[in-house]
Amino acid sequence: MSPANHKDPVGAASPPRSGLIRSVIRRIAAGTPLLPVFFAATLAHARINVVTLPGRDTVQLTIYNSADLTLVKETRTLTFRKGVNKLEFSWANTLIDPTSVEFRAVTHADAVEVLDVSFPPRVTNTLEWRIQSEFAGEVVCEIRYFTSGITWSADYVAEADKAEKLMTLAGNVRVTNNSGEDYENTQIRLVVGVIRLVEEIARLAQTFHGGRWDRDENPGMGVGKGPELKKAEKEMDDKLAIAEQIAPDAIIKEGMSEYFLYTVEGRDTIPTGWAKRLPSFHTNAVPIVSYYKFEKEQWDDHVIRFYRFTNDKPSHLGDEPLPDGDVKAFRVVSPDQLLNFVGATSVKYIPIGETVELELGEDREVMVQPTLMDWQKQDIKFDEWGNVAGWTIKETWQFEVQNSKDIDVVLDIRRNFEGDWDIKTEKKYEKVDATKVKFVLPLKSREKQKFSYELMSRYGTNVQK
Amino acid sequence: MNRFLLTSVFCLLTSAVFARINVVTLPGRDTVQLTIYNSADLTLVKETRLLTFRKGLNKLEFSWANTLIDPTSVEFRPLTHADAVEVLDVSFPPRVTNTLEWRIHSEFAGEVQVEIRYFTSGISWSADYVAAANKPEKLMALAGNVRVNNNSGEDYENAQIRLVVGVIRLVEEIRQLAQQGRPGAQPPPANESPRLAPQAMRKIAFAMDAAAGAAEARPREIIKEGVSEYFLYTVEGRDTIPNGWAKRLPSFQTADVPFVSYYKFERERYGDQVIRYYRFKNDKASKLGDEPLPDGSVLALRTVTPDNLFNFVGRTNVKYIPIGEQVELELGNDREVMVKPTLQDWRKEDIRFDQWGNVAGWTIKEQWQFEVQNSKDIDVVLDIRRNFAGDWELKSESKYENVDKAKVKFVLPLKSREKQKFTYELTTRYGTNVTR
Amino acid sequence: MKMKTLWFLASLVCVSIPAHARVKLVALPERARVVVSLAHPDATLVEEERILTLQKGVNKVDFSWAGVNIDPGSIQIRMLSHPDKVPVLNTSYPPNENALVWEISSPAAQEERVRISYLLSGLNRDIVYRAVAEPDEKAMTLRNYLRLRNDSGEDLTDAEIGIGYGADFKKSIAAGEILEMQSEKIDAMPISKILTWDAATLPWDPEYEKTTVGIPLSYVFTNSPPKLGTHTLLPGKARIFIRTGDNVAFTGEDWVQLTPVDRETKLYIGQSRDVKVTQRKVKEDKQNMRRNTGNAVVLWDTDEELKIEIENFKKDDVNLVIVEHIPGYWKQIKSSHEFVKKDAFTIEYRLTLPKESTGNKKTTVNLNYQRLNVQGNEPASY
Repeated sequence: MSPANHKDPVGAASPPRSGLIRSVIRRIAAGTPLLPVFFAATLAHARINVVTLPGRDTVQLTIYNSADLTLVKETRTLTFRKGVNKLEFSWANTLIDPTSVEFRAVTHADAVEVLDVSFPPRVTNTLEWRIQSEFAGEVVCEIRYFTSGITWSADYVAEADKAEKLMTLAGNVRVTNNSGEDYENTQIRLVVGVIRLVEEIARLAQTFHGGRWDRDENPGMGVGKGPELKKAEKEMDDKLAIAEQIAPDAIIKEGMSEYFLYTVEGRDTIPTGWAKRLPSFHTNAVPIVSYYKFEKEQWDDHVIRFYRFTNDKPSHLGDEPLPDGDVKAFRVVSPDQLLNFVGATSVKYIPIGETVELELGEDREVMVQPTLMDWQKQDIKFDEWGNVAGWTIKETWQFEVQNSKDIDVVLDIRRNFEGDWDIKTEKKYEKVDATKVKFVLPLKSREKQKFSYELMSRYGTNVQK
Repeated sequence: MNRFLLTSVFCLLTSAVFARINVVTLPGRDTVQLTIYNSADLTLVKETRLLTFRKGLNKLEFSWANTLIDPTSVEFRPLTHADAVEVLDVSFPPRVTNTLEWRIHSEFAGEVQVEIRYFTSGISWSADYVAAANKPEKLMALAGNVRVNNNSGEDYENAQIRLVVGVIRLVEEIRQLAQQGRPGAQPPPANESPRLAPQAMRKIAFAMDAAAGAAEARPREIIKEGVSEYFLYTVEGRDTIPNGWAKRLPSFQTADVPFVSYYKFERERYGDQVIRYYRFKNDKASKLGDEPLPDGSVLALRTVTPDNLFNFVGRTNVKYIPIGEQVELELGNDREVMVKPTLQDWRKEDIRFDQWGNVAGWTIKEQWQFEVQNSKDIDVVLDIRRNFAGDWELKSESKYENVDKAKVKFVLPLKSREKQKFTYELTTRYGTNVTR
Repeated sequence: MKMKTLWFLASLVCVSIPAHARVKLVALPERARVVVSLAHPDATLVEEERILTLQKGVNKVDFSWAGVNIDPGSIQIRMLSHPDKVPVLNTSYPPNENALVWEISSPAAQEERVRISYLLSGLNRDIVYRAVAEPDEKAMTLRNYLRLRNDSGEDLTDAEIGIGYGADFKKSIAAGEILEMQSEKIDAMPISKILTWDAATLPWDPEYEKTTVGIPLSYVFTNSPPKLGTHTLLPGKARIFIRTGDNVAFTGEDWVQLTPVDRETKLYIGQSRDVKVTQRKVKEDKQNMRRNTGNAVVLWDTDEELKIEIENFKKDDVNLVIVEHIPGYWKQIKSSHEFVKKDAFTIEYRLTLPKESTGNKKTTVNLNYQRLNVQGNEPASY
């Protein structure tokens, strides 16, 4: 919580500057000076027990990048009395999912029991736990809830050397906080993977009024969590439980089932509205291939450049999958490491061992020019009524290719054919599948090549296969 | 040319540092030359000025408010001391339009004659002709003129005028470039090699000058040059053309050009009308052939009385005529020459049936008669064209010529008051009767 | 591949801040160097160097770019003096501001030369060509200009500007300024002049046209040594003049297409009206008609003949290319002149027309060809 909030008198009508999560005691007597925060009060109104809490002891954010979802876990030390304690928790101008707020005693857990939780009438963004405590004194409690508005994304910077044989790959993660709440000294954990969320948290946060579901907007949903969301939460809790066991305080990127959890070492402060970018890794001398593709059906007449590399040990990578994110690629062009911009793209999630192709856009320095040099319709067959029933088209294609660059490249030309076809050529090629062939030509700097092929396509009764 | 001169601020700033600024107000242009293209709205203006440079870096500002100058076209070139004067770059300063600044490095201190060149729009020129035929329509007097129109917003005074006959290509309109005031973003060039869409081509005017025939008080000499695919006419002396004015200059006048009164009949082209042409050649034998004739409007007249009273024959436009090429002035319908085609017989024969007994092949035979009549008091030539489709065959006693696979031509010289008749038989095969 | 350790700010020390900074503790020092790379056709990369004075510990460096069109995701900082010892811990982005704060850890109080790079939009370049042809149209002087339009919002002072080839320029260009500079000048570059008559786009019978048919006129040159051939020619507008004595006349303009080394550039700049082409199809007969049992023709061959009459009214010889298009499967029977097969459906006659070859001296091309196995659905392009 931001320092400014600490000066706010609790319960005063002054609207919070930004989002503000606070817990207050139910006050009976007027004029009691209240510091921000948590209070536990006895059920009996006669005696008032005012406990001042020193804010959150710890905060942990577990941020998902596939859904607008963050699990917030905070611990606070409360002072309970024996018997029933009332604990109020309110959150103005934040994006907390009210149905997700949970309370748990960390110490004296056997002695502390939540009796029920109520959303008081005519008040928004407030709930109240009735807690039965067999223990009087300080109890460390954990409050857990989902919020939306905090996201993270990965981004990469690839710097190829002049020859485009090796690159330096640097990964970063960027956490953006638009949740309405400032998070200070927070442990940050990032989850890579897809979570199935039935209700968007942002929507839940906005449609929950006064502790009750707006029935018009959420027909069929009772007070509290919808069953679907509960399921999603449960699912996520399970995953996180696993994650917690294997991800203690160390900096770890660990796989958990289909998720991958990154824990950022140390504590970070991200006020609402701010974003923070943290370096994740930096690897030198990753081997790459400057790979060019031409496929009319994909890119028309353009030749598209790719940097191709593998997320594995020989490439000095392979420790972890790489989350999806934006990539900017540069090439070092001078001895003093000045750069040229090569292109920007985004990559999909890259599992360990996978070969990636960064699609960096058109490069006009590599030219492919196909020409149909001859076309013949022959071998005409007639049916019993004298109509044309079968024929064969013979096409002769010539390809001119030219690498105008000062480096060697590899050019991959793909041709798609339909039906019953046969190809004849002097050039080496590879059949990709039933309808596609591929010519892979290594081209030296400034090299020009020509090759041709003959394509026979049989139609009608001439079809043999 | 000088409202614009006054509005242009032309100053010379010396030294890169602004501490010492040497502002030179120029005493107007020394010379101005306009090279005018007509159907492209384009004029190349060249002016020379005398500037005083200092050694080192000089800044030279050029601005042109309220004109139609294309900012991307302005060029600077030293005429004297060219080896010592170098343009480093050209700057279009922020937030102002119609101004540019050259940074010029000079190894020479003193007066330098410089040339400034740019494109402007709003000035055009066109050619027109008067053709006066004699009574028998055998010879004519042909006079050519050029007309310069100035709608550029500027008065041009004491300008040398050059006219270009030819078609140049512009990929962007000068007027549009001028209205931007400073260079805008170039549109991406079309990826394919230029397609030859005729609409996209711009036509350039032709100029013709030449002081021929008619006894002008002081005929100006006009210098003609063939340049690439163009003809360039330089009008001697200096002209003043205020904004909004046009100026017409005689270009040539030639008497006794032989021509033929040529008539054409082609239903697909003119309907039932017979169209008159004056046909002559742009060559020496016709007392022409010194230069191509620019396209332009033609007024055709015919002398009808001994004291040279005229009849109006027609008004038309003539195409550009290269040297040595034949000219046809299209002068409209002349009802004094008549062509009357009549279908005299029609037969369907040689019917073939398919296996189900339906008609699958047939042949049509047509018998045509043409009556032609020249009611005029002069001899003419009549050109009749017929178009046929499909598998056809023609039989005729009259001489004809196959123009191509679908067109034939009968050419008939007709004396004054002469009538003629001719016939042909056309056989056209259809369906399974088709042989070719 | 190790996650960098992220420290809390043990010491929050001296901060260097750029102009327009959000929290100005110390002004970010002036740029020591600016390099602008225009090698990418659609993006401009700026790299600038500054010298920071770092304190021992963690330093916060604030960088902001109000009113400048920087792609925030592209901003990088690199240490040049002690690249291995001075790590960037993290980068923070304040809300609603074009700014960021780097946390940089330094093992000692020291000066650090840093290079800040970013993609800048709004700094656009055009390539402009101007050429003056010799009167004989066999060579021209070609000048190549780079025109920069700085709508990025940023003043660039003494920037090293590179376009991917040739030497860099060192220029200053203020926000809003347009600057044009000559990047190359090639003297006496050989060119050839060619007229191109394409049967697909030009009328066949000029007699039937209201205006004289202009035949497209092009200057052609090859991007190869000795005059060119060092780099790909970039697309841009070319204006062509021709020398007339000590004067010039404008002869037209066209877009230069991207031209790799050893490829040809053809600039279509105007029209010639002194060459007249009349093309007629004088024969188009069906042959070898194959009929079905219903007697309908289902497949046939053709016998076709083109007659192309060409007159050159000029007093000079002229190079003319005649382009013909023949769809489907075809074979030549007879041709009066040699032709080049450009692709399956296109042929070119490359003719030199003698001067004043008109009337009886005109050039006549006859082409007789057969189309085979015609069904009426033949491809004409691919």
